[in-house]
Amino acid sequence: MIKTQNLSKNYGDLTAVGNLNLTIEQGDIFGFIGPNGAGKTTTMRILVTLLEPTHGTAFINGLDVRKHGKKVRRLVGYMPDFMGVYDDLKVFEYLEFFAAAFSIERRKRKGIVEGVLELTDLQSKQSATVDSLSRGMQQRLGLARVLIHDPKVLILDEPASGLDPRARIEIRELLRELKRMGKTIMISSHILSELEEICDHIGIIEHGRMVFSGTLADIRPHLGIQSKVRVKVTANQDKAVELLSALPPIREVEVVDDYISVTFHEGKEGDGLIARSLVEAKFDLVSLQPEQLKLDDAFLQLTKGMVH
Amino acid sequence: MTAALFNFVLRLVSLSWLTGPIFDKELRVSSRRRRNYVLRFAYLALLTMLLVLFWVIAVPSGQSRLYQSSRMAEAGQIIIACIVWFQFVATQILAGIMLSTSISDEIYHKTLGLLMTTPISSFQVVVGKLLSKLLQLLLLMAISLPLLAIVRVFGGVPWGYIVSGLCITLTMVLFVGSLSLFFSIFSRKAYVVIILTVLTLGMLFALIPLFTVMIFVNSDIVSENEFFTGLSYLNPYFCLALATEAMMSPRAGGWIAGLYWPWQCAVMLGGSGLLLFLSVLMVRRVALRQATGQLGASSSKRRPRRQDGAGITVEQAFEHPPRRVRGSAILWKELKSPLFGRRKLAFVISIAVGLILLFLTYAFFADTGDLDEDGLHIMYGVIFMSLGTLFAIILPATCITSEKESRAWPLLLATTLGDWQILGAKFAGILRRSLPIWCLLFGHIILFTFAKIIHPIAIIHTALLVGWLMVFLSGSGLYFSTCFKRTTTAVIANFALAAVVWGIAPLLMALMAEIDLLDFDFLESYLDTNPFVHIVVIIEATAGRGSLSNYHWIDYGNKGVYDTTAWMTACAFGYVFLGLLFAWRAKCRLRRNIF
Repeated sequence: MIKTQNLSKNYGDLTAVGNLNLTIEQGDIFGFIGPNGAGKTTTMRILVTLLEPTHGTAFINGLDVRKHGKKVRRLVGYMPDFMGVYDDLKVFEYLEFFAAAFSIERRKRKGIVEGVLELTDLQSKQSATVDSLSRGMQQRLGLARVLIHDPKVLILDEPASGLDPRARIEIRELLRELKRMGKTIMISSHILSELEEICDHIGIIEHGRMVFSGTLADIRPHLGIQSKVRVKVTANQDKAVELLSALPPIREVEVVDDYISVTFHEGKEGDGLIARSLVEAKFDLVSLQPEQLKLDDAFLQLTKGMVH
Repeated sequence: MTAALFNFVLRLVSLSWLTGPIFDKELRVSSRRRRNYVLRFAYLALLTMLLVLFWVIAVPSGQSRLYQSSRMAEAGQIIIACIVWFQFVATQILAGIMLSTSISDEIYHKTLGLLMTTPISSFQVVVGKLLSKLLQLLLLMAISLPLLAIVRVFGGVPWGYIVSGLCITLTMVLFVGSLSLFFSIFSRKAYVVIILTVLTLGMLFALIPLFTVMIFVNSDIVSENEFFTGLSYLNPYFCLALATEAMMSPRAGGWIAGLYWPWQCAVMLGGSGLLLFLSVLMVRRVALRQATGQLGASSSKRRPRRQDGAGITVEQAFEHPPRRVRGSAILWKELKSPLFGRRKLAFVISIAVGLILLFLTYAFFADTGDLDEDGLHIMYGVIFMSLGTLFAIILPATCITSEKESRAWPLLLATTLGDWQILGAKFAGILRRSLPIWCLLFGHIILFTFAKIIHPIAIIHTALLVGWLMVFLSGSGLYFSTCFKRTTTAVIANFALAAVVWGIAPLLMALMAEIDLLDFDFLESYLDTNPFVHIVVIIEATAGRGSLSNYHWIDYGNKGVYDTTAWMTACAFGYVFLGLLFAWRAKCRLRRNIF
C-alpha cells in the first residue's frame, strides 16, 4: 500500500531523508520510530504530497505521490504533529468544512460528521469553537478530521502526544478498530511501549536512513541477540546453575537477583530441555519464562542517539 | 560595600534595569535577520534617490558656475527639508509596522506567560520590546546625520531646524511605536494593528483638528491665531510644517519653531508615556492569564465557561447552532468568517461613530456652501481611495500567511482542493473583507450623485478603477503571501510594491528626466496610469453641480468621457494582466514554503 524507493530529501547540505526504502502492506499498522530529527516527519510529509522529494519515488496504492498528488490526497488521511485550527469555526463546522474540501456530497456530510464525532467521542463538543478545546480534545478532533473522507491510508505523526493515559488507551483502541476496518496505518510515536502493543511492523530510522524494518520478532536475529530464559527454583540455586551449564545448547548461565538467566547458543532453543532436566534432578521449579526483547532496548541498540 | 555600590551605579548607568534581558534578546535576534539589512539598504537607496532628485531640481545643470553657487544655500535648505521630512514619514511607517507584532508574537508563541515566571517585569517586557525596535529606526536616522551636517555647510539652514526636526521625529516615532505596541496586545493579526494605528493617527492628527476647525472657526470662543498656536503644540505634522516654513522663509528666522517644538515634543512624550503605562498594565494582565492557562494561543480574551452536567457549556446551549457548509468548502469559509472578528460590538460602534463624524463634515461643508466645490470632493475621494488602497494592500498579503501562522495551511493543502480553487476563494474573501471600506468611496459618490453634485458616470469610472486596483493588489498580495511565512513580511512586501509602482518609480523617472535620460512625456504618461491621478481626474471632471466637464489627464490631455473610458480600460487591462501574472506565480508557489 505504501512504498518508497531510494527516497531522499535534502535541505541544502542537510540530508533529512537519504535513500529510504520502505514497504507497508495493506491493513498493516506500521510503527515509524526514530530519534528527534531522524526524518520521520519529512518522510510522512512527502507521502502526503506536502513536500517534494529531492530524489527517489514514493507510492501510495501504486500511485506516484509526485504525479498523482490529488488522487493520493484522496486516499490518505494525514494528522500532523501539530494542530492547525481555524479560530472562527466550531467543531461541527470544522469537520464539515474538511468533508466539503474532500468533495463529499452535502447530503452525506452531516451523517459522516456525526459518525466521526461519535467515534472520537466528541459529540458533546460539536458546538464549541475549535480553539477553545483542550489539547487532548484537539488531538481527537485531528483524528476525526483524518477519518472524515474515509481514507484507505492513515498517516499519523505523534497522535498520542500530550494525551492523558485514558485518552491514549482510547486512541489505541480506535487504531485497532481502524485496522479491523482494513485501514493501513503509518504511525510515529516516541512512546515505544504503545507502538509495541499495536504495530504489526516497525521501522527504525536514524539520520534519514532506515536502520531496521520488520516485525518485533525479526529484531532479535537482526541484532544477533540469542534467546534467553529466566529460571526460578525454590532452593539450591548454585546446583541448578551447575546442572544447566552442562546442557549442550546452553552457552551461558548466570544468577541475577533471585533467578537464573540462561542464554542459548545462536539459533538454539531448549525451554523443554531445561524444565525436564530440573524436574528430573528434583529441583522445585517455580517459573520458566522466555526473556522478551523490549522495543525500547532494540531502539537503543539500533540507534546511536545522535541527531542532525 | 564599595563593590555593591559600584555594581549598583554600573547597573543604573547601563540602563539594564529599564530594558532587562528582553532588549538584549531582541537585539541579538534582529542582528540575524536579513530583512533588517535589506531595510537599511532600501532606506538609504530611497533617501539618496530623493536627494539627487531635489539636488537636480534646485541646482539645474547647464547654468553658469556663478548661478549654481548662488543657488547653493537654497539647495541646502531644500535638501535638509527633504531629509527631515523623509525621516519623519518613513520612520513612522516603519515604527507602526515593526511593532505591530511585538506583544502579540509573545502571546501567540505562549512565551509571555513564561516570562512572568522569571524576575523580568512587564515594564521591562514593554520597554525592552519598544526600545529594541526603535534602536533599528535610530540607526536609520543616524545614517543620514552626517549628510545633514555636510549639507548645512551650504548655508541657509539654522541648527535649530535640524535639532527640532530630529526631536519632533524621535518623539513622533516613539508615539507611533507605543501606539502600535499597545494595539498588538489586543490583536494577533499584524494588519489589524497597522490599520488601527493608522486610523488612530488619522483621528488624532487630522480628524480632531478638522472638527475643531469646524466647531470653533466661526465662534468667538477660540480665535484663528489661538487655534493654530494650539495645533502647533499638539500636532507634530503641523509643527514640523511650521518649522520647515520658518526655515525656508528668511524673515521668520526660526522663532516659530524655536517657540513651539519643545512643547510639542513634551506632549508626544507624555502621550507615549501614557500609552506605555497602559501597555504595562495590560501586558501584565494578559501574561498572568496566559501563565494560569486562562488564555488560548489565539484568543486575547476569553471568560471561563460554566459547564453543565452533559459537558456542554451553558453559553454553548444558547449559542447559534453550527452553520452548514454550502458549495465550495474554501469559498464558504472565506465568505462566512466573521468580518469584524470577535469584537463585533466595538467595530459596529466604531463604524457608527465614523459615519456620524463623516456626515458631520458633510453638514459643515453644506453650511459653508462648499459642497459643490470639486476640490472638496477630490479631497474626500483621495482620502477614501487611500483607505481602500491600504486595505487592498494589507488584506491579500495576510490571507495565506495567517493560515501558515495558525498552522492550518498544511491541513488545507492535504485535502483534494485545487490550487486555483483555493486562490479563487481567497480572492473572494479579500473582496468581501475590503467591501466595507470601498463603500465609503462609492457611498460618497452615489450620495452626491443623488444630490446632483457629482455626475453618475463617476460611479462607472470609479468601479473600473477600484476593480483593476483590487485585482492587481490582490494578485501581488497573494503572491507575497505564498512567498513568506510571516504576515508582517508579506504586508511590507506588498506595501513596498505599491510604493515602488506609484511612488518611487515616478520619482526615479522624474530624476532621469531632469538629467535628460528620459523624456518628460514618458513620465507624464506613466503618471496617467496612477490610481490616485485617476481618482483626481475622475472627480475633477464629474464634481460640481453634477455637470460633466473635460477630463484633464497629465499627458493624455483634455479628453471627453469616451476617450477617458478607453484610456481607463486600457490601464485596467494592463494592471489586470499584471495582477493575473502575480496570481499565476502565486499558484506556482502555493505548495512551497508550506511549513
